[in-house]
Amino acid sequence: MRGLIIKDFLYLKNTWKNLVIIFIGSLLISIALGNFLLAICALPLTLLASTINTFQTDEFFNTESYTLSLPLSRIKIVTARFLYTILMLFISFFIGLVLYYLIRFTIRPGRNGLNTDMLKYLIMLESASLLVDSIFYPIIYKVGCEKSRLVLLSIVMLLLGIGSILSVYVNVFDNDFIDFVSIINFIQNNGVMVLGIIVTITTIISYFLSILFYRHRDF
Amino acid sequence: MNIEVNKLNKSFDEFTLSDISIKLPKGKIVGLIGENGAGKTTLIKCILNVMHKDSGEVKLFGHPYDDALKENIGVVFDDSFLNETFTIMDINLIMKNIYKKWDSRLFFKYIKSFKIPKNKEIKKLSTGMKKKIEIASCISRHPRILILDEPTSGLDPVMRSEVLDMFQDFVSNNENSILLSTHITSDLEHIADDVIFISNGKLIFDKPLKEVKDSYVVLELTKDEFKKFNKKDIIRYKENRLDYQVLINKKNMKSDYKKYIKDLTRLDDIMLLYIRGQICED
Repeated sequence: MRGLIIKDFLYLKNTWKNLVIIFIGSLLISIALGNFLLAICALPLTLLASTINTFQTDEFFNTESYTLSLPLSRIKIVTARFLYTILMLFISFFIGLVLYYLIRFTIRPGRNGLNTDMLKYLIMLESASLLVDSIFYPIIYKVGCEKSRLVLLSIVMLLLGIGSILSVYVNVFDNDFIDFVSIINFIQNNGVMVLGIIVTITTIISYFLSILFYRHRDF
Repeated sequence: MNIEVNKLNKSFDEFTLSDISIKLPKGKIVGLIGENGAGKTTLIKCILNVMHKDSGEVKLFGHPYDDALKENIGVVFDDSFLNETFTIMDINLIMKNIYKKWDSRLFFKYIKSFKIPKNKEIKKLSTGMKKKIEIASCISRHPRILILDEPTSGLDPVMRSEVLDMFQDFVSNNENSILLSTHITSDLEHIADDVIFISNGKLIFDKPLKEVKDSYVVLELTKDEFKKFNKKDIIRYKENRLDYQVLINKKNMKSDYKKYIKDLTRLDDIMLLYIRGQICED
């Protein structure tokens, strides 16, 4: 399993030039705006978002059959990909933290340009990114990377369609039916904790669904 | 037995691999032949659980299939390997973290003898070189079985002969064995002990190569000779522009048939006549 995680990390070595450019670009924008949130978040988020590219690269180079010929169960193959993602979450947060202190001690922007709230935003953005991964992974394990975007778009459109009909004809989104204001207030006050719980539950469900789908897939 | 497959079935929309039973004995090289789409790769994938079988049984080293048993199997697929942006150093790093018996020294020895650059991305190498890397990575994990799908395609004759020698060395301990699927049947004629012939998802035969060659004879007849020929002796025939190719069982060989033998019977001819030949109606 360690070998598969190393394999995924090795994909990154071909992207370092792009990552450097992304960081330089985000830093320049931040200097121009006088706000360094983008400089702290852009690189970690790109790294975390790149976890989904590992599926795409596997599919492009047709490595699935070969991976399944290794002495690893399908559960271990899925677990390796999830562990890689979790590791990337910590690594990318650590990079965000390093960038925060680097900017703080080198560029020294004022309180409005750099504050500890930005680290909270980084955690929230990373949680949101992990949430997207957790939604994508089971679909990819079910239908493959190529088709997964279309499937996800179909699901989102269908849900939006149902939501629209419900809002117009059943008034389900009226304040009397669901108290949206208190929900939004609750999220604003407890954002990190709420996102953390949602992401943890979604990731666990995503892991078991991924195993279920991958177990039955032929290559 | 290193591999035993009993009554394996796998169906797709328009293709069925039906009731395949084969054996891969210790110390043997077994050739797997058949036309494109015959089911050779599907069979290999079902053995390795890359594809799920609908029914049947696969035993590895006398045990029911288990993923961990693949520690002792080296696989070369026709179209699937690691990411081609990796280098030899990357492959070594990945493999030594997957296989307990991975032998880096042996791997680099092969890489050196194949003259493959260590730090160049695989995608920048020739098809032949890629195949050599796959074969080297296969043998460097000290497996007991090699399952090879078109391992010599893309190799020049010199390299092919070198690789075939490697395969023969591999089975020389009488414990290891190789299941070798290939279109280059001339390779099999040099090294295979047994031949498994699959056509259109069905097992045609699983026999020792010598028995196959001793069982069948290919005759070449003119159109007139074909008209007079005893059709009951014919297994399959194929009409060409100027003559007929006829496959018969050697036990039906009569002394006056000898004049129709133009060449030694080759696996290619047997396969071709089985697949593209016709059965005599009368």
